[in-house]
Amino acid sequence: MIFTPQSALKKNRMDWQLFAAVIILLALGTVAVLSSVAVLPQQARIVRTQFIALPLALIAFSAAWSLNYQIFQDQWRFVYGLTLMSLVAVLVFGVADKGARSWFHLPFFSVQPSEFARIGLILVLANYLDKRIGKIRELSVVLGAFLLALPVFFLLIKQPDFSAILITLPIILIMLFAAGANISHLAIILGYSFISGLFPVLWTLISMNPELLDNQLVNYFFHLSDLSWNAAFFVCGIGLAAYLLWVLSVKLYSNISGVVFAGAAIVISLGLFSGIMVKRQMREYQQKRLEVFLSPETDPRGAGYNLLQARVAIGSGGILGRGIFSGTQSRLGFVPERHTDFILAVIGEEMGFWGTMLVSGLYVLLLRRIMNTAKLARDRFGYLVSCGIFGMFMVYFFINFGMILGLIPVAGVPLPLLSYGGSNMVATLTAIGIMQSIYARRYALV
Amino acid sequence: MIDRYIPQERLNYLWMLAYAAALVFLLCLINLQVLMASRYREIADKNRTQIIAQAAPRGRIFTSDDVAVATSKPSFSLIYFPGQLKTNLELESLASGLARQLSIPYEILRNTLFKSARKETPVRLAENLSSRTMLSLSELKTIYPGVDIIVEARRFYPFGAYLSHLIGYISKMDVGEWSSRGKDKNYTMDSRVGKTGLEKMYEKELKGRDGGIYLEVDSRGRLSRRLESREWAPGADIYLTINSKAQTAAEEGLAASATGKGAVVAIDPRSGAVLALVSMPDYDPNMFVAYQEDRDQEKLKNLPEFNVALQGTYPPGSPFKIITSAALLETGKVSIDEFFNCPGYYDAGSRKFKCWEKKGHGKMSFLDGLAHSCDVYFYNSALRVGPLNIEKMARQFRLGLPTGIPLPDEKSGNVFGPSKRAAKKSYWFIGDTLNLAIGQGETLVTPMQAALMISAVANGGVFYRPYYVEKIVKGEGEPLYRGKAEELNRITLKDSTWNLLRQGLKQVVDEGTGQAARISGVEVYGKTGTAQNPQGKDHAWFVAYALTPGRSAEVAVSVLVEHGEHGASSAAPIARAVIEALFKEKRPSGKAAAGPVTGAALSREAPVSNSEPSTSTVKQGGV
Repeated sequence: MIFTPQSALKKNRMDWQLFAAVIILLALGTVAVLSSVAVLPQQARIVRTQFIALPLALIAFSAAWSLNYQIFQDQWRFVYGLTLMSLVAVLVFGVADKGARSWFHLPFFSVQPSEFARIGLILVLANYLDKRIGKIRELSVVLGAFLLALPVFFLLIKQPDFSAILITLPIILIMLFAAGANISHLAIILGYSFISGLFPVLWTLISMNPELLDNQLVNYFFHLSDLSWNAAFFVCGIGLAAYLLWVLSVKLYSNISGVVFAGAAIVISLGLFSGIMVKRQMREYQQKRLEVFLSPETDPRGAGYNLLQARVAIGSGGILGRGIFSGTQSRLGFVPERHTDFILAVIGEEMGFWGTMLVSGLYVLLLRRIMNTAKLARDRFGYLVSCGIFGMFMVYFFINFGMILGLIPVAGVPLPLLSYGGSNMVATLTAIGIMQSIYARRYALV
Repeated sequence: MIDRYIPQERLNYLWMLAYAAALVFLLCLINLQVLMASRYREIADKNRTQIIAQAAPRGRIFTSDDVAVATSKPSFSLIYFPGQLKTNLELESLASGLARQLSIPYEILRNTLFKSARKETPVRLAENLSSRTMLSLSELKTIYPGVDIIVEARRFYPFGAYLSHLIGYISKMDVGEWSSRGKDKNYTMDSRVGKTGLEKMYEKELKGRDGGIYLEVDSRGRLSRRLESREWAPGADIYLTINSKAQTAAEEGLAASATGKGAVVAIDPRSGAVLALVSMPDYDPNMFVAYQEDRDQEKLKNLPEFNVALQGTYPPGSPFKIITSAALLETGKVSIDEFFNCPGYYDAGSRKFKCWEKKGHGKMSFLDGLAHSCDVYFYNSALRVGPLNIEKMARQFRLGLPTGIPLPDEKSGNVFGPSKRAAKKSYWFIGDTLNLAIGQGETLVTPMQAALMISAVANGGVFYRPYYVEKIVKGEGEPLYRGKAEELNRITLKDSTWNLLRQGLKQVVDEGTGQAARISGVEVYGKTGTAQNPQGKDHAWFVAYALTPGRSAEVAVSVLVEHGEHGASSAAPIARAVIEALFKEKRPSGKAAAGPVTGAALSREAPVSNSEPSTSTVKQGGV
């Protein structure tokens, strides 16, 4: 233990850089939200929610900051139970909105428990990995982590809240990676997710170009999605092929273990199976989003149109922007979901290149400070929680920016701290509060 | 934290990944917001604005003596802006009120209004309102908010068909024109463009910049607010070299002739400036301004767009004898004192070639032969001169070449002669020489070419490119463009040739076939002609130039009356009227003449003030 003078400890109770970044982002976001909803009929409700959420979020931040984060490790059963309970409760008592039952309606605002569930899951997983850190390089621990998350995913699918799943899955991978899990295990999981994503994409591509079905092979492949004997034969074929390849490799005196071939066959088969599941579970609007991503010209007035209008909004802002409260694209309704998922378009249009630069710069600073805190953490739990929160912000940053800039499909993912959304804001600031708590209770003076 | 289990460098990898992604985003943002910003700005502006265009007044067109032959009139359009009037009851009462005033069926108005109110987009209810309707509508405006009247400029030709072949007409764009002009922001789907004549040739100068009411619409096309209204800028005015009195005299004369069809061209031999240009039949360009599809399709089909003066090619007949004479005098193969006997025909052995005077002219020398247009004299002399010399002379006088007047689709006529035959590997006969000499056979000229030919005689062999735009003026200050004489070619003949030729032409008017063109106090030089026409009655020609004694020639005229039979009786009086109008400064009288004069007075106070669009009606009312 290093000796530290009392005065020095008092000085550094808070990571001011992180705090400043958060406050500036919140301010920018509030301005952008106010501007974008100025002409919406539901303006009053949105503004009211925003100004209720802001103090609530700051209270949550202060509470999380002053609370010793280690209590979450101590009480992980309680955290896990609360997370699952809230997700079950929302299925029972929640209100359906846009086809998803993910809201509690309270007198003045609504609460979306899946936002808080994400933080809960990070805490629980951090505890789990902390306890089993000695066996982290075994597959069982990795699978155990997913087993722990499985009920949460199950309940999210029940709502269904696909974007919450889209955010949470990578967070788990990032936490496992940061904890030191075997890369090959992660590769298996990544390969599995890739294949279960790839199949639906290929099928969608084929259904968009029906003339491809004239090809016998393509036709056969397309009908794999029907979950019939075809698929079973296909799985057997893959197993056989893997076996033959293994035999071949043995004959060639290569020393690749048979486990690799068996694993590959299992991963492909499981990927196919879950791909079929994904395909069957996909809602029409999600199918549409996928199609638009694959070929943006197909639907000029639909989702592709929205994406184009968002790009036009950002681009028309130019370097200096068109001035706050005077972006025509967003105010006249050309940009969809402008106060939530497309808030960056509003900032880009009204504040220009400097605005978007500021936002991405602050996000990079935020990630930098969280990483810094992780390295300073007093214990492994603090480190792992920091990694989870780092992963959360990183995934949001990637997906939201990538979507608006047209690098990945349109997914309904907000940009935390900027987008309108009370639950998201409170949950995000809780996470920041936990980060500050970890920072405040760090070991060394750095 | 230092922990033996935790590989902390993995966090660094994650950080690097985030950093790399941020760089990618940065590049994307630079591309979007810095490099492509102007393009996206344009799309965004197009997204949100809708324009109700107000057509700017086209440039006016004046003759050289300041008669406005094309102006603009204010035209009022009724526009409905959705917003305040919304209930069906209000809209229905508005529709019934308007139906009475506009004499548009109630059902149509009602449906238009309902549609507009539902989509929340403004709509143009009626165009070209009369002043009487305007008065009653202005009352309605106070009762119904949201109905508004905007002013536009509409083309107006005060004298109808006057000068129509030169001015041309304007009309709505067809598909091809729209695809070539649509990119120009100054044109909208219902803009009128010049279709022919001046209106087409100087479309760019005449057009001006349209004004408009800019509306901001939201993503569903609903009116969100009115932005500024941009004022229009009128087009440039064009001043022509046309002299309104000469033009009036020519139009009247041709209209009064036997068939009323043909062409009159008067040019200034000193510069090539066109003083009068008539082609009949003509048309009233006003009828296309208020264009209505079904009604005008039929009119358009029967439109006499054919410009006889430039596109009609005819055998030149006797005026060609000027060229034959020039060849005769220049070569000197026939002495001017030499006599040929005219018994009324020329016996070419296999066939007898007649003189137009069946009785025969008797003994004829050069001057008499030209004055009386004796065919037999020219048969004889042509055989002596030789067809090649005549063809050469015809080429020197630029027959077979377009005159180069800046108007579309000019015809070049045809030169006929032994070298052309040789080129076609065909034979030349004696009869061909005889036909060539008197301007029959395959030679074809346009009235414009004939005018240029006689103008060359007047000015001693200079060919100017005919032009008709004196200047183009935009607002105050220096003209954008000033027309000037452009010499195309100059032929050099002996002085004696010119003198004798002129002497002969003077004799034609003083005592020969062209006596109908005689004017006291003015020296008129001319040549009559009758072009044989196998399809019907012969065409009548008269070419002439005139000068006040002691000065250089000031006008060269060519007149062609289709099926007018005799140049002396039907074409020469028209030329005389044109020359008289120019020299005597006599006030023209009669129906057509009354037009330009009163019109000139009117045009001083042009109906639409060209500088200031009155948008006052636009700014009030509405949303």
